[in-house]
Amino acid sequence: MDDSELISQILNGNMNAFTFLVNRYQKLVVHITGRLIQRQDELEDVCQEVFMKVYQNLGKYRNECRLSTWIATIAYNTSINYLRKFKKCDEVNPDESTVFRNLTEYKSNDFEKADLHRYIRDQIELLPVQYRTVLTLFHLEEFSYQEIEQITGMPEGTIKSYLFRAKAILKEKLKFVVDENSLRKVKEITHE
Amino acid sequence: MNKEELDQLIDKSFRTEPGFKLPADFAQKVAFTVVRREQWKTDLREYLYLMGVLLALFALVSGFFYFVDKDFVLKSFAFLSSNLVQVISIVFILNFIFFTDKVLLRLLFSRWSKT
Repeated sequence: MDDSELISQILNGNMNAFTFLVNRYQKLVVHITGRLIQRQDELEDVCQEVFMKVYQNLGKYRNECRLSTWIATIAYNTSINYLRKFKKCDEVNPDESTVFRNLTEYKSNDFEKADLHRYIRDQIELLPVQYRTVLTLFHLEEFSYQEIEQITGMPEGTIKSYLFRAKAILKEKLKFVVDENSLRKVKEITHE
Repeated sequence: MNKEELDQLIDKSFRTEPGFKLPADFAQKVAFTVVRREQWKTDLREYLYLMGVLLALFALVSGFFYFVDKDFVLKSFAFLSSNLVQVISIVFILNFIFFTDKVLLRLLFSRWSKT
C-alpha cells in the first residue's frame, strides 16, 4: 500500500491503516526523537505525541514533500519543543566550548576496556543536538540536504557545516584514543 | 591508523542505529489512544450540541408562551428569580448528571478498559 492510499484510508476512519502507518514510520520517529531527547524512559511518550500530531494534521498534508519528510518534521519539532520545555537551554543552543570540553575529559585507559564501536556511538551521543540531528537525518535516514533543510529549517550551508564539524570532532576524539594497541581492534571492526 | 580507515570507521558508526527502542505493541497503543481522544472529543461535542438544543428549545417555548400568555411567563420568571439558589442548584445537578452520562463515564470507562 503506497502512502497516498494509506492517507486516504486513514482519513476515511480506518484505524488499521493508521496502525500500519505507525508501524511503517516508527523507526524513523524513534531515531530522530531518540537521538534528540536521549531518554529511553520518555521516548515512548514523545513518539506517541508525534503520531498523535500526525493523525490530527493528516488532513492538512499536501503532497508537496514525501510523507517521511513531513513526519520527520513533526518528530523534529516535537523533540525540540520537549527539549526546550524540560531540559536545559544549552542543549538546544549549545555553547561550542562544550563540544571540545569532552575531548579533554577522555582518559586513554577507559578506551582499552570499552568496545570501540560502542565508544564512537557514545561519542556521537555526546555531540550537540543540532549535530546529532543532521547526522541522523543525513547518514541514518538518508534524507537529502534539501529535505533536511525542510525538516529542521537550517540553511543548506549550515547543514553541510554541521556534518563536516561533527566528523571533525569525532576524528579529533579518535586521534586521542587510537594508539598502537587499539589499531588491531579498529581493523577487525572495519573489515567485518 | 590511516585517514581512510578512520573515515570508514566513523561513517560506519554514523549509519549504526542508536539503541533506542519502542515496545512491540507501540502502534496498537497509539491507535488506541487516538480512538480514545477522538471519542472524548465526539462525546463532548455531542453534549454541547444537546445543551444548545435544550437551551434553544427553552428560549423558543418561552418566547411562544410570551405571546400567548404574557402574564404566565412573567410570573414564571418571577418565581424562578425569587428561588434563584434552588433553581441554580437543580439546574447544576441535572446538568452534572447529563454531563456525567454523556461524557465523563464514557471517558472513565475507556481509561479503565485500557488498564
